[in-house]
Amino acid sequence: MGRNLLWIALALAIWAALPFIVPRNVADLLVFTGIYTVAGLGIGLLLGHCGIVNLAQATFYGLGAYASAYCTVTMGLPSISGFVVGAFISMTLAYVIGRPILRLTGYFLALGTLALSAIASALFFEWDWLTGGTLGIGGIPKLDLFGFVLDRPSRYYFFVWIVAFACMIAAHNLVDSRTGLMLRAMRDSSTAAAALSIDLQALRTRVFVVCALFGSLAGSLFAHHASFVSTQSFTVDRSISFLLIPVIGGATSIPGIVAGALFVTFLPELLSKLGDIHQILFGLALVAVVVLLPGGLMGAFGRLRSRLAARRIGHDG
Amino acid sequence: MTLSLVLQAIFAGVTNGIVYAFVGMGLSAIFKGSRVINAMQGEFSVIGAMTTVLLLTKSGWPYPAAILGGALAGALVGAFIEVAFVRFMAKKNASEDSFLLLTIGLALTLSASILFFIGRDGHLLPPLGGEGVLIILDAVIQFHALWLIAIGVAATLALRAFFHRTTVGLSMMAASIDADGAATTGINVARMRTFTFVLGGLLGALGGILVTPLIAVDYQLGLNLTLKGFAAAVLGGLTNPLGAAVGGITLGLVESLAIIGVSSSYKDVVAFSVLIIIMILMPQGILGRAGRRGG
Repeated sequence: MGRNLLWIALALAIWAALPFIVPRNVADLLVFTGIYTVAGLGIGLLLGHCGIVNLAQATFYGLGAYASAYCTVTMGLPSISGFVVGAFISMTLAYVIGRPILRLTGYFLALGTLALSAIASALFFEWDWLTGGTLGIGGIPKLDLFGFVLDRPSRYYFFVWIVAFACMIAAHNLVDSRTGLMLRAMRDSSTAAAALSIDLQALRTRVFVVCALFGSLAGSLFAHHASFVSTQSFTVDRSISFLLIPVIGGATSIPGIVAGALFVTFLPELLSKLGDIHQILFGLALVAVVVLLPGGLMGAFGRLRSRLAARRIGHDG
Repeated sequence: MTLSLVLQAIFAGVTNGIVYAFVGMGLSAIFKGSRVINAMQGEFSVIGAMTTVLLLTKSGWPYPAAILGGALAGALVGAFIEVAFVRFMAKKNASEDSFLLLTIGLALTLSASILFFIGRDGHLLPPLGGEGVLIILDAVIQFHALWLIAIGVAATLALRAFFHRTTVGLSMMAASIDADGAATTGINVARMRTFTFVLGGLLGALGGILVTPLIAVDYQLGLNLTLKGFAAAVLGGLTNPLGAAVGGITLGLVESLAIIGVSSSYKDVVAFSVLIIIMILMPQGILGRAGRRGG
């Protein structure tokens, strides 16, 4: 136990020191890792606990970002209103659309959510009175916490990651709660769960709404970081890269989501040093993860650890 | 809404619909034969069209030979994907989702490769049958559209004959319906799965080549075609490649009639909304008989 505490303290110290020791562009990427972690947590809950492939997260991410942009720039309201309005609209939409669409299963649901993302991205483009279309909305103010302006990546880093940790704790508690038990029952045998009078439809909708909330929160965080939002940030491609976060990291593990978020933010940046070929390499890296590491990075890590443990026991005995 | 406008919309809808039908038939054939939803089906179209463009302009091949080359390129890429990835994952009993993710990864890789090796410009092919047009009641139809419709009908009938009359087609059907039973009668199930990917690649590439005189092909076209093709396949009941042909034309018609009713910019919104509504309300597809599998 004492050793565990030491590890946690060490991890916290590294986390707190990171933005001061790394260059500015890396700190910027770490902010994005935090934002993507928030968005990825929701998809991880759906994928890992409900078996739902959600390809619509860019929709809710976009709603959060546009709500923040519209409330602060167009209406001149305080920043918090964007977070609240975005979350409210996203959760309402997720509920209204989730009820019918979550009746689908497997591939059909995956493609249904992909279609949803395609519709939303077309509407973001068309409703330029609201979203500014391809020109976007600029001049979104930096967040201001009681007079302390989060105007540098190193400052915003702490805010984003505290939000991300709060979301991780919320996700962890959800999985650990009564809802989590119902989710586990549904995943292992949906027929048995239904027989125990668990309303599968309502349960799936509830997780979908939570996922939308995380997506919208991430979108608002993004808007205040980038100061500028436009349709290019909320396309179907973005939905796909959000889905990759839990797939690469491991959907049921919360550290896995962070690992996946690090992968999708840092790998393209590292590969971009190699020139234009980086997108091909990113695609190939994704294929390699899917083919070679079915449980994601965390699954591979777990297997490695149990193999090492088995070897250690073998040596001892 | 005048008659000629409606007529024009119907022709445009059928023309686009045949393209969606090609992509959808390929998707459906692959799904039927391997239970894989191929999220890179639209990339087959892009590969076929791009290869034809390059053979025609860079290598100076005659047009029919270039078309053949493009179609073969699609078929070869299909075979490669099955042999290199799908076979390996099927051996490890990979889940439905991981096949979907595999093909998403391949789609990203291929589209990035086209951006890297060929560039971001759109390319057009010359229309079949020349630049001429046919005018019926003020509605203008390009000769190319007539060729497209004729080839689409011919391909659908050929596909039907292939599945019902040839030994290979029947073996593919058998392997997909009952793999163990097919193996006992001496059918090489793994090879049949490769053939379904070859067929899927061929159909996708043909669709891509035929649409390129109408829409410029670029590295981004694949995803949109995949979505439309999937919508076509779902409308047709997914496991029935011929249903996908009906589904594609229905989708094309709905889309182009929506343009007169609403506005051209809402074309995709209408198409994808129809997809969602049909999936929820008519899970068997619009033909309603062939059972849907995989969901």
